[in-house]
Amino acid sequence: MKKVLLSVRDLAKHFGGLRAVDGVSFDLHEREILGLLGPNGAGKTVCFNLISGVYTPTAGEIHFAGIRSDGLPPHRMAALGLGRTFQIVKPFSNLTVLDNVIVACGVDRYRSLARSFGGWTGAAVRKKAVELLERVGLADEADRKAGLLPLGHLRRLEIARALAVGYRLILLDESFSGLREEEIAPLMDLVARIRQDGISVLLIEHNMRVAMKLSDRIVVLDHGRKIAEGLPGEVARDPLVIEAYLGRGGSSRVA
Amino acid sequence: MNAYVVTVATLVAIQSIVACGLNVVVGYAGQISLGHAAFFGIGAYASALLTTKAGLTFWTALPLVIAITGLVGLLLGIPSLRVRDDFLAITTIGINFIVEAVFLYVPFFGGALGIGGIPRVTFFHVKMKGLPYLYLCLAFLALVLLVCRWFTRSWAGLACFALREDETAAASMGISPVRFKLLAFVLGTAMAGLGGALYAHFMRFISAGDFSFPVSVMLLSMVVLGGMGTLWGPTLGAVILVSLPELFRPLLEIRFLIYTLLLLLMIRFQPGGLLGEASLVRRVFSRLMPGKEAPR
Repeated sequence: MKKVLLSVRDLAKHFGGLRAVDGVSFDLHEREILGLLGPNGAGKTVCFNLISGVYTPTAGEIHFAGIRSDGLPPHRMAALGLGRTFQIVKPFSNLTVLDNVIVACGVDRYRSLARSFGGWTGAAVRKKAVELLERVGLADEADRKAGLLPLGHLRRLEIARALAVGYRLILLDESFSGLREEEIAPLMDLVARIRQDGISVLLIEHNMRVAMKLSDRIVVLDHGRKIAEGLPGEVARDPLVIEAYLGRGGSSRVA
Repeated sequence: MNAYVVTVATLVAIQSIVACGLNVVVGYAGQISLGHAAFFGIGAYASALLTTKAGLTFWTALPLVIAITGLVGLLLGIPSLRVRDDFLAITTIGINFIVEAVFLYVPFFGGALGIGGIPRVTFFHVKMKGLPYLYLCLAFLALVLLVCRWFTRSWAGLACFALREDETAAASMGISPVRFKLLAFVLGTAMAGLGGALYAHFMRFISAGDFSFPVSVMLLSMVVLGGMGTLWGPTLGAVILVSLPELFRPLLEIRFLIYTLLLLLMIRFQPGGLLGEASLVRRVFSRLMPGKEAPR
């Protein structure tokens, strides 16, 4: 059995009366690609924000890389080797594409004040950032302002930044949405290669073909609760899952 | 140079130093501050008190003055930087009024009479006034510009740029928003403290009104006019905004009208500042000297 990297236990986040995430548990193993699926408003992104430290859970526990990590702020999670992208892209618009990635390359530097006084303009850092841009296919755009890039490029820029940070786990929040068909295949290759490098991936995806093909296992959420977990093939046939996506009785009518 | 020109130039150099400090906070870290004159004042009062009451020389007092101003910046920054944008602007205005009121009403700070009899700076037993003092201020300005240049090339500076652009994304890359915002705030206020000390020993009499809210607005105008986040922008802004009122002195009645008009034209046509991205100055420069980077 592979080692558990991320363990989520009875996780809950309530916003007033809204139970956005309501008692979700799952494990993510090392070198695993886990798909987090569910209809709009199921609580997937809230789950991401809880794991990455943006929100503090109302209840439940998160263990990451051997330590209890719920309640740790995002910059601490990043320092533990967790990189993430955002569903609504958040580029540093006035910096160049290359500098955007260089910011992420400094994740070790920001941990101590003394180390953060070193310079970031060196050739080694630049080389590392260029390599990351090459991996996502953005090297040609390195010197452009990030704010000028189209959405598809920004999604890839976010992945490059997440790669610089996440040496253990990368959270991809709908990184494939808004991409053209011919952009999807290379990106799927990239995600598959990330896993080969020993990094785990947790992905939220609405593109079913991508999610089914990439994920080793899938967890399905609906209304903040986990309704299914298993291999892609099993989950796709699960009546509860079909009901969540298509509505009650939908399975017979659609079929 | 006649004494009048030297006086104006010295004030330009001092205001440049303070504006550079504000640029670290506003331009680099993206944290709006409308209370920077408070820290200018804290530096001036600290140096004035240490030299008149504690009997220190300017040179022995200066490290203390910078440390005190930076420390007060840290203490006031901790609560202030919890709020963002317009709320931060209002909080910093509040800081300015409180600090000014403390100088004005607490007898220890001289009250309404201010502090007089501040000694001149001596350098190897020579009293510095006129041109030598201008050179001293310019030397400190050069030092401040070097620190700013170093900061923009350090990871800490890059962290501040990232926070300015998007705090959530920056945090997801290991950047502690609190730590690096406070760092920028301390660095910026320490520079204001240095400027304050130079101001106190230049004027040799200071009072609370010298560090009131309009001074903060003027300082922010310098940064915005020159170009937020640029290296030379605050200095250019200080040159223009200190010398323009002097040039328009014959038009005393309407000089603030001209000054307002200038700012409105800037906002309309050069929102990035004179040295900002794609500004007129930069475009003309690249036309005249193709292939060379314009100063920023």
